[in-house]
Amino acid sequence: MWIEQPILATHVKPGQFLNIKVSSEPDPLLRRPISVADVTGEKVRLVFRVVGRGTELLSRNRAGDIVDVLGPLGKPAMIFRNRDIIVCGGGVGAAPLLYLTRYLDKCSRVEVFLGARNRSQLILVADFRKLGIKPEIATDDGSMGWHGPVTEPVFRAVQKKKRPIVMACGPKPMLVDLVAKVDPVPVWGFVEQRMGCGVGICYCCGLRRKNGGYIRLCQEGPVVLLNEVEL
Amino acid sequence: MKYRIKIGRTVFANPVLAASGTFGFGLKFPGVANRIGGIVTKGITVEPREGSPLPRIYEFPGGILNSVGLENPGVRRFRKEILPELRRLKCRVIVNIAGFSIDEFIELVDGLDYKRVDGFELNLSCPNVKNGGVTFGQSPRMVERITKAVRKSTNKTLIVKLTGNFIDPLKTAKAAEQGGADAVCLINTLFGMALDESGRHFLGGRTGGISGPCLKPFALFCVERVASKMTIPVIGCGGIMSGMDAIDFLSAGATMVQVGTASLVNPKASLAVWQALGDWCRRHEVKDWEDIVGRTKRQD
Ligand SMILES: Cc1cc2nc3c(=O)[nH]c(=O)nc-3n(C[C@H](O)[C@H](O)[C@H](O)COP(=O)(O)OP(=O)(O)OC[C@H]3O[C@@H](n4cnc5c(N)ncnc54)[C@H](O)[C@@H]3O)c2cc1C
Ligand SMILES: Cc1cc2nc3c(=O)[nH]c(=O)nc-3n(C[C@H](O)[C@H](O)[C@H](O)COP(=O)(O)O)c2cc1C
Ligand code: FES
Repeated sequence: MWIEQPILATHVKPGQFLNIKVSSEPDPLLRRPISVADVTGEKVRLVFRVVGRGTELLSRNRAGDIVDVLGPLGKPAMIFRNRDIIVCGGGVGAAPLLYLTRYLDKCSRVEVFLGARNRSQLILVADFRKLGIKPEIATDDGSMGWHGPVTEPVFRAVQKKKRPIVMACGPKPMLVDLVAKVDPVPVWGFVEQRMGCGVGICYCCGLRRKNGGYIRLCQEGPVVLLNEVEL
Repeated sequence: MKYRIKIGRTVFANPVLAASGTFGFGLKFPGVANRIGGIVTKGITVEPREGSPLPRIYEFPGGILNSVGLENPGVRRFRKEILPELRRLKCRVIVNIAGFSIDEFIELVDGLDYKRVDGFELNLSCPNVKNGGVTFGQSPRMVERITKAVRKSTNKTLIVKLTGNFIDPLKTAKAAEQGGADAVCLINTLFGMALDESGRHFLGGRTGGISGPCLKPFALFCVERVASKMTIPVIGCGGIMSGMDAIDFLSAGATMVQVGTASLVNPKASLAVWQALGDWCRRHEVKDWEDIVGRTKRQD
């Protein structure tokens, strides 16, 4: 889905998200957070998976429809310079990494790894190629690329680099596995959490820090240093 | 028409407030805060509180359940870090305070005796803490004792926020009045819970508080039940999403209203409620709030 909004398109940075009211009715009540997958000109691209009523309603929008969005929200992801960056996406998690990679590729050495359950669940491979990057693929059923979890080729790539940084987005089990495998390499990850407001006023979106206390994901995230939080 | 309203020692520019816990400390949206009657801050406790485990929010058709568990920086950090920032706001600021004993309430009020604090809202109704909160609010005797003790410690405007959970709010409202409150606020969230597919509690805090549109009929009922029998004003709260919802609360007898959950959906919701309310008053040539407040009963 593409949203045409010049001001939004010029201001939104990789890592940020939009909070979308999917219906003008009071139900579903809360907005749905969706990350920005890319920006072209005055258009912002969103890529999402239909998992429930909210995303289903959102997917019913047709070209020309008007949507009620709040954003850009959240803290932009760190754009590291002159580093070896391993980008790791799982399933629909590839989406926000596309925009991030567009930025990182300009100032660091980037390698991209995309994983999914099977070939048909892989997304945006062609879009990454357009950036001049050839993503390494892994599928759980071996229907394309490496047969097994994407975290394995990522682990091998990490070992070959000096002071690498991993940037990841995907299902929670993948993120947990990744942090454990590449430890102590820093892993910056996109984290999802139930949100109330998305703008820092309700304290519903806590994320527990390993050394105690909670951070508000919509303020300090959604991209956080995974090594420091409890997933 | 004059939109101003006076409660205790505080003059509010208009009758719409942002409810506690749903507008942070008002600092994110000063443009909204400065144009409504005022803001009620997130609940403050003596000691800092981490809050409840995750997840803290659950959505269902008609509303939400939350179990934030009063996450807040505690009164000392509030004083050092947030109070100075609040000086940037031009609106009235009511600090929502949650003590776990009478002494703690007094400590909170004493520790917040600053000009920028226009008044206090005693949270005797939070469903997401083990002691204090709603357990105080379910006992008319405790409501009166706490209110009385706080009243002795401060001249500032004192609002007592009450619950509708398993207690007749008329009894607790009367107790607050006896204790010397300037107003009561009705209602806080109602007890609720949600389960996941495996039959486990969905919320990290296990149970939570219901808010949003589904709360309105009950909140309206509570306001009507209490307002006509009190000498002090009632502030209505619960499921207010639109200007018309606010008018309903005024008609039922509320002098002011608070907008909660609606601000999560749209941070400008409280301002939108005020603008719609103001427009309605102009269209209907309302001369005085007294024309609307409590009109339901007068028409029975
Ligand atoms: C910062 C952030 C960015 C996101 N970016 C994307 C993206 O780019 N693409 C994408 O496909 N999905 C993304 N998600 C997940 C997306 O928000 C949920 O899939 C969506 O809210 C589900 O809504 P629903 O009504 O379809 O599902 P339901 O399960 O019916 O939703 C019920 C409630 O739970 C909440 N909820 C359910 N799943 C999630 C979840 N995973 N994270 C947070 N809240 C959830 C909903 O918002 C809603 O309030 C993101 C989540 C966050 C927090
Ligand atoms: C996320 C959330 C946090 C809240 N925190 C507080 C709080 O700290 N203190 C308090 O007195 N009420 C708190 N409340 C209750 C609201 O102020 C309000 O009384 C209630 O939500 C009903 O109004 P509504 O339906 O307009 O939301 C909270 C409500 C929500 C949804
Ligand atoms: S979602 Fe409300 S504070 Fe983050």
